[in-house]
Amino acid sequence: MVDQRSAPGVALRDDEVRRIRERLGREPSIVELHAFDAQWSEHCSYKSSRHHLKRLPTQGPDVVLGPGEDSGIVHLGEHGGRRYGVVVAHESHNHPSQVVPFEGAATGIGGIVRDVLCMGAEVIAVADPLRFGRVEHPESHQRYVARSAVDGIAAYGNAIGVPNLAGDAYFDEGFDDNCLVNVVALGIVAEDEIVHSFAPENAAGWDLLLVGKATDPSGFGGASFSSLSLDAADEQANKGAVQVPDPFLKNVLMRATYRVFAALRERGIVPGFKDLGAGGIMGCSAELAASGGYGADINLDEVNVAVEGMAPEVIAVGETQERLLWALPPDVTPAVVRIYNEEFTLPQVAFNARATIVGRITEEKKYVLRHRGRIVMDVDVDFLTGAIRDELPYQPAEGFAPAEAARPRADLGAEALPLLERVLAHRDVCSREPLYRRYDAVVRGATVIPRGYADAGVLAPVRGSRLGVALAVAGNPRCGRLDPRRAAELAVATAACRVAAVGARPAGLTDCLNFGNPRNPAQYGEFVAAVDGLARAAGELGLAFVSGNVSLYNESESGKAIPASAIVACIGTIGDVARTITPGFKRPGAPIFLLGNRAPERGGSAIAELLGIDDAVPAPSYAALRAELALLRRASEEGIVAACTAIAGGGALVAVAKTAFAAHRAGRRLGVTLDQPCGFHEAPGFVLEVADEARFAALARECGAVARRAGAVAEMPCIAAGGERREVDELMDCWSRPLEEIYP
Amino acid sequence: MRPAAAAIGLRIPDNAAYTALVTLRRLGIAVERLERNEIWVFDDDGDPATLASRVEANETVFNPNKHRLALLESTAPRAGEAWIGELDAHDEVREHLGGKGIEGIRRARRYVAWRLFDRHGSPAARETVAAAVNRLLCNPAIEEAIF
Amino acid sequence: MSARIAVVLFPGTNSEDETLRLLRDCGGDAELVHWSRPAELRDFDAYVLPGGFAYEDRIRAGAIAAHDPAMDEVIAGAQRGKLVLGICNGAQILLEAGLVPGTAPARRPTAAFTHNGPIPHFVCRHVYVKLAIDPSRCAITRALSPAAIIPAWTANGEGRLAATPEHLDEIAGGGHLAFVYAHADGRVDARANPNESARGCAGLVNREGNVLALMPHPERDAWNFNHLDRPAGADPLTPSGGAELFRSFVAAVRA
Repeated sequence: MVDQRSAPGVALRDDEVRRIRERLGREPSIVELHAFDAQWSEHCSYKSSRHHLKRLPTQGPDVVLGPGEDSGIVHLGEHGGRRYGVVVAHESHNHPSQVVPFEGAATGIGGIVRDVLCMGAEVIAVADPLRFGRVEHPESHQRYVARSAVDGIAAYGNAIGVPNLAGDAYFDEGFDDNCLVNVVALGIVAEDEIVHSFAPENAAGWDLLLVGKATDPSGFGGASFSSLSLDAADEQANKGAVQVPDPFLKNVLMRATYRVFAALRERGIVPGFKDLGAGGIMGCSAELAASGGYGADINLDEVNVAVEGMAPEVIAVGETQERLLWALPPDVTPAVVRIYNEEFTLPQVAFNARATIVGRITEEKKYVLRHRGRIVMDVDVDFLTGAIRDELPYQPAEGFAPAEAARPRADLGAEALPLLERVLAHRDVCSREPLYRRYDAVVRGATVIPRGYADAGVLAPVRGSRLGVALAVAGNPRCGRLDPRRAAELAVATAACRVAAVGARPAGLTDCLNFGNPRNPAQYGEFVAAVDGLARAAGELGLAFVSGNVSLYNESESGKAIPASAIVACIGTIGDVARTITPGFKRPGAPIFLLGNRAPERGGSAIAELLGIDDAVPAPSYAALRAELALLRRASEEGIVAACTAIAGGGALVAVAKTAFAAHRAGRRLGVTLDQPCGFHEAPGFVLEVADEARFAALARECGAVARRAGAVAEMPCIAAGGERREVDELMDCWSRPLEEIYP
Repeated sequence: MRPAAAAIGLRIPDNAAYTALVTLRRLGIAVERLERNEIWVFDDDGDPATLASRVEANETVFNPNKHRLALLESTAPRAGEAWIGELDAHDEVREHLGGKGIEGIRRARRYVAWRLFDRHGSPAARETVAAAVNRLLCNPAIEEAIF
Repeated sequence: MSARIAVVLFPGTNSEDETLRLLRDCGGDAELVHWSRPAELRDFDAYVLPGGFAYEDRIRAGAIAAHDPAMDEVIAGAQRGKLVLGICNGAQILLEAGLVPGTAPARRPTAAFTHNGPIPHFVCRHVYVKLAIDPSRCAITRALSPAAIIPAWTANGEGRLAATPEHLDEIAGGGHLAFVYAHADGRVDARANPNESARGCAGLVNREGNVLALMPHPERDAWNFNHLDRPAGADPLTPSGGAELFRSFVAAVRA
């Protein structure tokens, strides 16, 4: 490690410092050490993961822009003669949220929104897949983290006026010391108006315009901090590495930036634009320049700062929030500065917030920083930003297979209904409404299905158009603990099924791989297995990953890692939102069908935990799943799917119950009579109410899908199965209550 | 059980104070500088010497990145200062202080304190404070002002 | 020459887009006017203050915006009879500006929409509101049916009406209680009230009937595609539901 006396807080390894020294031909300066520390941290460089991620499919007919820039873009459709794309980014803010959960989670939302904004998009939604530890004890740190992280996400998203469209939460002891706060953001952009994260052609000599919050000393060391395991002894230092969010400033910055987009488009200017995140001004400007084939020369004295006298490395690498960086032709810069500083009064909105020129793009591919008349950094820009690789050994991960072959089937048939209350109340199945009601789900007025009403949230984001966008997330950590590969496959399959359940076409994926220490071969092996699982499932379903993130070192002091957590988001598209499948059973007497959900394995399921069953994680049956998705697609296009719920947590019987709850919520007090066993095993599938049984059967034959008639919608508000009955009201009560205690 | 008061202010720029100052000046109120603090009035059972560190340990109330804490001599506003409190305030510690509370603290009452300074750097006169309170800093429908 | 509606944008406002769009879809000639250009407001015939967190709710929700130069224009216009609609944060600004209930001089608030009860945190929930006044008591609601039930979303942390008992009596007695929370079938009870707002208040009107402050957002359940119980085959882009209030507003502006 670097001598902590000369550069405290720098986590570079000795071999990394040697490389730098050799390449520079001299000792690196303090600023250079901090710059490489950030740029070569796991968080920024993906050095332990990039070569594995190459196995993920990233191309396809729906992909407008794959991974590589700040966000990916999925093709949505056409309206008014223009092609539109959905911009999507997916990130993690795990370590900061464990230490200072409100700010950690809030700045997570702040960062992901910037990633989408800087592609030239209007930000339209956020999602938050969350994993917390055991929250039973009111005074536990885990409860504090679970509450404050949600409060932080709410405070930020609500203030900037971006609706929360999807998300989930799991509570498991594996996350006691390392919570997961993953965030997803969506944007909408006309495909001929995409703004790129690299300086374009002929940009040598262009201005580098820094916009936003005054750089301050808090949060120095963030990227490096995220790439180390949390150590309680460094608590104060860890807290200091978490940034201060300012959603109010961001609200104004976003609107000002939309105005700048319009002004640049009017003038036909193609800029470079990137948001600042890990690595601060240095990371952003170096990448903006290098990825365009340029260098950069920046004067740190020009940076708008909150306090005087900050060390140059703090100005250069500190991760103050709410900042963006433009590369602009010099004759355009004044107009942009005017929009930010005068029209949108940035300096009055926050102390010394402004747009200010800090340097320029250079032909010469060097990265130079100046401070008080001296050069404090001067390195080859490709060396700084170029891919580095840590080839680490790993132990192939095995999936859990139970010792005995015979497994009791008490959860099917006549014994199912008495167990239903317990499954509905299970902490990973019960209603999340107490959590997400703190989020604004409907700001912007574009919501077709708000979060929580169905399996995916749906928006109609293009004004005057019927095009729809759906979003859902998935990733069961209990499956991850048992079988990282299958858990990753199921995350892809479940996210795609959730999107399909609202009548949308799965069109693209993002992922965040949250794992332990890559230098621990067993934990690293789980990561490798998960990548395999994601690649397999996406390939089988014809989907591509357009964006993603890796979060490693999620292990506690004792070396215990989190359960393998590949978290997936699926973006769906809808040609006409009139065709969205609205939630809840509709018509008494209508037939109910089951699709999929065949594999009997219950590893990772709620029922397995409740009954103490050890079992394998089910493997998706891709051929069947493809046929089922095709059937659902065609049937919903013909308007004969009256209701649909994806089978996931709690299995088919819970999916049936939730569809009844949704009906009640809409004022239709309906029930269900089941005449086929509906159990709790959680292999992917669907529960549907069908409006035209004959036509549905014909479509099923055409698609090669097996649909099993399971019963019918009933007029009485009860669920009846195997000779037993339960009132829907009582079941809904069991399901609604548990999280009220955590989120009153 | 002793009453004690702590003032928590921002170490980073205080935009709320800045905006309030600008607005008060636009209203013609002669204030040169404005300091905003959150005031916590506690009933404290614990050792007074450790009160500051006990409060700082509560993450709901104190973030070392943003805040600085000062213990106050008395549980009443200082010269030039007005304390604004909610009319229907509760003393419920749990509600104010998050799940963990603060060790030794039984009751907690929260105020927002505005301290006005004139152009000589002295605490502003009472009439000035009253004008600021009546025209901006306090909404009598839901708040009370102590100064 | 059509009557022009200004949608006033403060720093921190976040609902301007759907508010503007709905006004236009309901036939209004509406434009966004920026806080940095207050003098432009003089040329408009009516004002809408949308939702959000103007000035970050510094000091109190709506307190700083109430003193903004833009509000000088809105107050002057309101005093001359121009119609003003404030939604959510816009409603809070109207109360802080003293325009609603308007029983005291300008900028002397006598009521507030303050932190929710029973637990003071942000709640996003679908609601219904109904008139607690005759529609003709307020120009903005004149075109509504007396039994109209308007769907909306409450999305705020501070939506509860609070005032001293004397002022609450004045609000009720003076016909200022314009809208109350209700169920979908029009029943009014405590369960319909999402935040313990005094008198179940969802909206207030001033004495003259030209200024309406409404806490929940009708513009978020205002097109067919927003309604979860929309009939199959309905054109998703047609305004309905919450749009009824906006239609009434636009009709009153044009009258």
